[in-house]
Amino acid sequence: MPENNDQDIRIGVFICHCGSNIAGYLDMEALSDYAQTLPNVTFVQRNLYSCSEGGINEIKKGIKEQNLNRVVVASCTPRTHEPLFRSSCEEAGLNPYLFEMVNIRDQCSWVHMREQEDGTAKAKDLIRMGIAKAALLEPQESIMSEVCARALVIGGGIAGMTASTALARRGYEVVLVEKEENLGGMLNHLNKLGPTMTDAGDLMEEKIQEIVQHAKITVFTQSRVTAVQGFIGKFEADIETQSGVKKIDIGVILMATGGRAFVPEGLYGYDGQRVITQLEMEQLLKNGLNSDIKNVVMIQCVGSRNQERPYCSRICCQIAVKNAILIKDQIPDATISILYRDMQMYGVENEEMFRDSKAKGVRYIHYDPARSPQTESDQVRVYHSLLGREMALPADLVVLSTPIVAPEDADVTSQLLRVPVDENGFFLEGHVKLKPLDFATDGVFLCGSARFPANIREVIAQGLGAASRASIPMSKGSVVVEPIISVLADEDACRGCGLCVALCPYGALEIRHTEKGRKVHVIDVACKGCGVCAATCYQHALTINSYTDQQLEAQIDAFLIED
Amino acid sequence: MCTGRIDPAMVARAFQKRLDGLMVVGCYFGDCHYISGNVQAKAKIDTTRKLFKHIGVNEERLAFRQCSSGEASVFVKLVTEFDEKIRSLGPLGGDGDRVKAPEIFGKLEAAEAVLAGEKIRWVMGKRTPFLETGNIYGEIFTEHEFNRAMDMIIVEEIEVQEILAKLKEGARSVKDLAGDLAIPSERVFRYITALKRKGMVALDNVADRSPIFQLVPQEV
Repeated sequence: MPENNDQDIRIGVFICHCGSNIAGYLDMEALSDYAQTLPNVTFVQRNLYSCSEGGINEIKKGIKEQNLNRVVVASCTPRTHEPLFRSSCEEAGLNPYLFEMVNIRDQCSWVHMREQEDGTAKAKDLIRMGIAKAALLEPQESIMSEVCARALVIGGGIAGMTASTALARRGYEVVLVEKEENLGGMLNHLNKLGPTMTDAGDLMEEKIQEIVQHAKITVFTQSRVTAVQGFIGKFEADIETQSGVKKIDIGVILMATGGRAFVPEGLYGYDGQRVITQLEMEQLLKNGLNSDIKNVVMIQCVGSRNQERPYCSRICCQIAVKNAILIKDQIPDATISILYRDMQMYGVENEEMFRDSKAKGVRYIHYDPARSPQTESDQVRVYHSLLGREMALPADLVVLSTPIVAPEDADVTSQLLRVPVDENGFFLEGHVKLKPLDFATDGVFLCGSARFPANIREVIAQGLGAASRASIPMSKGSVVVEPIISVLADEDACRGCGLCVALCPYGALEIRHTEKGRKVHVIDVACKGCGVCAATCYQHALTINSYTDQQLEAQIDAFLIED
Repeated sequence: MCTGRIDPAMVARAFQKRLDGLMVVGCYFGDCHYISGNVQAKAKIDTTRKLFKHIGVNEERLAFRQCSSGEASVFVKLVTEFDEKIRSLGPLGGDGDRVKAPEIFGKLEAAEAVLAGEKIRWVMGKRTPFLETGNIYGEIFTEHEFNRAMDMIIVEEIEVQEILAKLKEGARSVKDLAGDLAIPSERVFRYITALKRKGMVALDNVADRSPIFQLVPQEV
């Protein structure tokens, strides 16, 4: 096998022209001549496109004919092309981790388009560094781990219920944990759901029935998850239930803890009687309005889009418009004024609902946050920015549209699952576009208003989406983890001090009692290879595969070499 | 790999090998692909900068900056500014630094030993918990208190390393060490006592009623 370490190091260097992307700006001949002079380099070739079928075949041919045991490709970015080149090495019988990529395009030729000489010199530096590291690369094996086909869903609101049912229908066991007495979450407090005016109670009942009737779903109400250990495929959760603490093995976790409506204590004379929130309005509408109510004023953006909560909660406008229509339905001659800063009515149906409300006579008055409305005993005073004068609007009822805010225990949940929250306390997905329903931590997913304020329709879509994402590792039955992770390279050096364990962002390290005493143990599948532990271990016991101290040191030395 | 992988001892070593400037560019806090690696990186680089300042290396040679992958113009600005800064400082150990070459390289060697050491790594690593949740006694430190403690640790650790480096050249008395290194003799005495307890130095002989200390070779 070419990857035998006892053999001499034979490095093949493939320098890509990338059409004219690299060759148009750097002196390619100088680069290949230079690479030829570097230690351990036995073969250098230039390709028009290394990633083309022809280029890949040249790499494979080089490995076989030149008996190469390390491959360096100097081309574009590993973000897009490293997997391709690695698998090409593997197909030619070379361990894929004996491959090193050097970026001479994005980080060199594209940047130095007008400086051929300097750009070429920099490319030489980069290639020299890559070759120095390549010589020290070690073969690695991919890591496989089984995945338990049971999901833990935290939160029994619409998001959690939707996800639970979806997972159960696919045949996976689901443990659903809800802290309140009843399932349903926010739906318990809502009246009708816009823009279709579906009855919230009916929807909730339907969802709850699906849950309780499904044999694969176990529900724990008035319960909390108090501890989570492990990693994707093999989590263990402690659930504090009414009948004591239960320990449950699970493969994946779905976070659906939702949000809560902000209570505007001290704002606009809020008293819960005459000045109420939209959430309290829902209850009034459910009970049937008192027909004495003739004048209603709604104020938007109460407690949001300010310094403390700079975000737009984005669903309050829809709620206000919907409730205005419902008030009009119950009391057709009621005067309703909505004082707004900007109307957030995204989507065709919401826009229609907005127009519908205007047709029904709901009035919209813009206000400036610098001259915010004043609530008085029987009226609301507002400065009308278009008329340029103050207006007094009679008000039997003032309804404040307050934002959805993160749950009070978001920080506890964040620490429990080791997942991040943003500056507003909402949970932060792995990537805005590429991983909107996953956390950066493998095997943990999120949906619903815990992520950001969302309306029912969006929450249901997210619940289904997260369930789909969560079922991927369970349906595969195992996960493959890239072996570029932390390893205990020198067990004798480890004192079991635990500093690395304290600093690991993923909980991928633990102290175990061995025959040699306390030693750190790396949980392969949980480690992401960030390297914080290796940079911290004063005993140099831990290192990162493919980023060892020696390899990094070799790159630094190669960079600083006096030429 | 994350900026959190950067071992500060490696940084000090690179400067010994004639690096003139190093800028570490990480993600914004809260936006780290590896959750909190950038927080660790910042703590390590901050400490290394303090240490550099203390030993006479211009701390501007080392920078921690933040930028997202979508902010090309910010990145260009950061790199351009840093490049200009390092050019204005000139080569390491020249006009830009308080201590000159070749003495500066000995200082950096001591700094490397400090940064590789147990004490400073614990304190760097535990910075966030010390400031947010407190130590094992539940005492939460203010940023100011933490910085003061760190400043003290840096002075002590560097002085210990300088003593060890001096003793490598040959056995010496506390008085000689104090004179050579311009450290008050009571502090040298305190360090020697601690090093003796750890088995790192031992009494060699007594000359002129002064005890002479020597280095005890350490097993690797």
